[in-house]
Amino acid sequence: MTTLGPENGTLTVRTGRRGAVARAGHDLLIEVQRWEGTLSPDEVTLTADARSLRVVSGSGGLSPLGDDEKAGIAQTIDDEVLEGTTIAYRSSAVTARDGGYDVAGELDLHGVTHPLAFSLTLDGDHLTGSAQVKQSDWRMKPYSALFGTLKVADVVEVSIDATLPKEA
Amino acid sequence: MVALDHTFQTGKPADYNWDAILDLERVIPCVEGGKVLSRESPDLAKAEIKVKMGAMSMTFRGTVEVVERDEAEHTALLRVKSRDTGGSGYANADVTFALNDGGGAIHTEARITGKAASMGEGVVSQVLDALVKDFTGKLATI
Repeated sequence: MTTLGPENGTLTVRTGRRGAVARAGHDLLIEVQRWEGTLSPDEVTLTADARSLRVVSGSGGLSPLGDDEKAGIAQTIDDEVLEGTTIAYRSSAVTARDGGYDVAGELDLHGVTHPLAFSLTLDGDHLTGSAQVKQSDWRMKPYSALFGTLKVADVVEVSIDATLPKEA
Repeated sequence: MVALDHTFQTGKPADYNWDAILDLERVIPCVEGGKVLSRESPDLAKAEIKVKMGAMSMTFRGTVEVVERDEAEHTALLRVKSRDTGGSGYANADVTFALNDGGGAIHTEARITGKAASMGEGVVSQVLDALVKDFTGKLATI
């Protein structure tokens, strides 16, 4: 079994925007700073600290996203979106295929457990993969501001990009 | 300046709507993020509205005053004067109500400066439109 964490790569979340004034908002790239994953031929797990999200960058919008705004968004995620709840994934089936794995399992997010499947690609020791997380499937109401005219898109993309540690 | 027109339904008689709309302590909380800070007189209240913007929020603080009223016609003009507590901008609005049995109409003329206005008149207009629509929905419950 291989154990992965921030020292091996990045776990990121990409969000989009919706609503009448979507152009006033930003697409966000958010990095999870504390997480741990395990990878073996028959099981994949991932846990992440909901209070460790950091906004790396924002694209679009009417003006660039400043450091204060990035910090404000992270605070909003803590206070109003994830609220420090458990984030944990455990696979129920891992299917090896040429160049990687197809993974099916369940994600515990914001107090709700719901199935989630994704693919991992392994190129030598380079592991990549992404999952589409539809917030409403976990009974989360996508964050909205400005009286509902600016909303985070329901589907966010969670990606991992890591280098597997050399086996001892 | 942004000018907007909306109608709303309450399902209640005009006299009821009149009393409700002109009761500042009932009507101001119908604005999302709005609250009365103090009632200065029957026709004047100090109030604030907190606008959530995702990265941060803006708070506008000022007064809401009934400056014109015609009880026979069931029309009234409420004037909002407020300043951004975190900046130099302001948000002022004249809101004219024309009430009837079952509901009424609202004409809003707003002037907004500062950081909020920097989003552009198109964005400001759409945000205000959403604010007033949400407000009209809540008027049905007062």
